[in-house]
Amino acid sequence: MKRFDLITPEGTKDLLFEDCVVRNGVEKKISDIFKSKGYCEIKTPGIEFFDVFNLRSRYFPQESMYKLVDNKGRLLVVRPDSTMPIARVAATRLREAKLPLRMFYNQNVYRSKSAMRGRSDEIKQMGIELIGSDSKRADLEVITTAIEVLSSCDNDKFRLELGNIGLFRKLVEKLPVTEETREEIRSLIEVKNYPALNDLLDSIGDTEVTNSLKQLPRLFGGVEVFDKAAELMNDSEIDQILAELKALYTSLLSLGYDGKITVDLGIVNKMHYYTGVVIKGYLEGYGDAVLSGGRYNHLLAEFGYDVPATGFAINVDAVSTVLKRKETVKVPVADVIVFAEDGYVIDGLKLVSKLGTEGKIALNSVFDTLEETKNYAREYGIKKVICVSDKTTEITVEG
Amino acid sequence: MNNENRKLRIALTKGRLEKDTVGLLEKIGYDCSAVHDKGRKLILPVGDKIEVVLAKAADVITYVEHGVCDMGVVGKDTIMEMSGKFFEVADLGFGRCKFALAGKKGTNFYEGFNVKTIATKYPNVSRSFFEKKGMDVDIVKIEGSVELAPLLDLADAIVDIVETGTTLKENGLEVFEDVAPISARLIVNTVSLKIRQQEIEELIKSIEENL
Repeated sequence: MKRFDLITPEGTKDLLFEDCVVRNGVEKKISDIFKSKGYCEIKTPGIEFFDVFNLRSRYFPQESMYKLVDNKGRLLVVRPDSTMPIARVAATRLREAKLPLRMFYNQNVYRSKSAMRGRSDEIKQMGIELIGSDSKRADLEVITTAIEVLSSCDNDKFRLELGNIGLFRKLVEKLPVTEETREEIRSLIEVKNYPALNDLLDSIGDTEVTNSLKQLPRLFGGVEVFDKAAELMNDSEIDQILAELKALYTSLLSLGYDGKITVDLGIVNKMHYYTGVVIKGYLEGYGDAVLSGGRYNHLLAEFGYDVPATGFAINVDAVSTVLKRKETVKVPVADVIVFAEDGYVIDGLKLVSKLGTEGKIALNSVFDTLEETKNYAREYGIKKVICVSDKTTEITVEG
Repeated sequence: MNNENRKLRIALTKGRLEKDTVGLLEKIGYDCSAVHDKGRKLILPVGDKIEVVLAKAADVITYVEHGVCDMGVVGKDTIMEMSGKFFEVADLGFGRCKFALAGKKGTNFYEGFNVKTIATKYPNVSRSFFEKKGMDVDIVKIEGSVELAPLLDLADAIVDIVETGTTLKENGLEVFEDVAPISARLIVNTVSLKIRQQEIEELIKSIEENL
């Protein structure tokens, strides 16, 4: 039998020392931002019932979830997302709480991806959910928080992109086609497959609606997008969505992130989940979006609690990868190693604790001799050895 | 990385697609002399603002997906087999051929109730083709000349790329059904398109104008 005791499962990895320092730094920075805005942390179980993720607005293909069966034969999944469990909590234990609710999370999600593609199945995600408000002020709060998070990760080289899934929905509703064809149009817009989209829409007809849908994936960039979008079909609902998005965009510009906030009217992912404004965040040096979110007004109703909500999630591992490439991070070296002569071991350990309370990093030497302790100190770049005996001496170790 | 100071990086599928793409870039007016005298180099400059990376088809997708190359030229066959997350912005028109279902001449593939065996280099393409038909098939992955499999009675049919059909004909096989048309596609990393929008859109535009 082949043994797998020396490796980790595909799509997972061990994080050593520096990796942990970087990631903890990112987590602290982001959670400080969340907490400062009154978001409270919530932790949900690592395993949940499959049903929680199998709603109408689900967007997790079942083959992407890690599944288990509990001792009663019920299907469980290893948490693939945090928003649905939080919606579940809001709809149950927090049902009587005064709205809006502000929650944040910092936990792993697991998604089974195809092997050998260089991406992880285990992803550390942080995010916020603002539940119980459909106000534009809530959208602005969530989006400015996303911008603050991105700029705290990399102030120069981030992008935040805005869209509104309602545009696509309103347009595609007007087409006399089946649900399957709508889904095909959506997926072609999502991957900006211009030629195939044009072919498919041409086969449906040459109308204002098909021409507008052809334009949708090409409408991304700065404020000029709104001028181009004016050429889309005239429809009061569509005009209103565009006007609101433009107002949102304009007010975000006043934050002063020139050129970093952009628009893409062709964001159409997770169509059954998002209901309005959607956002994506990018950092230079990572080939995929690191942040994504938006308004999801129908999700909680599926848990029997019909309240609107909005939020976003950021991939902490992706941010860490980008930051680690930019700056060299070192695990802090111990300030001192304490060696105790025979009979003074407890005194040595007491000293280690005392130095610790003073904010120093102090190692306890487990070697029997001072010489071995010094060698060890030299190997790890520890500059000072304290030798505890009837009289305590300090020895400086040379590199 | 998507460093704004670095050149726009385009991954090309080595071989015929590479030659056709270079021809296209030259038609637009880029200096591709370095690619013609490449020797064994794999990363080559094209003009001042672009560099091309020569890679195997499937790797073009991997490099673009991860954003280490901003754009790529790759056949629809590889895209269908590999899938992945990127924008597929243009059909370049060259490298035209098709995926087809083929087998021994004169036989009726759909006859009988037995589960058919399909030999192919493209298991994912084959699986999704038969999935749409609601048909269960056994798929055998073959690395070399797939035409052998039906001749040796390992498989009832093959799903493979057909260009002229000569190989099929010379081996007593024929196309039963077309699966999908194939041609070279221009793909773009999802983040690059946003962060280097102007450069990339200009290039796409001049490519579209010169097709």
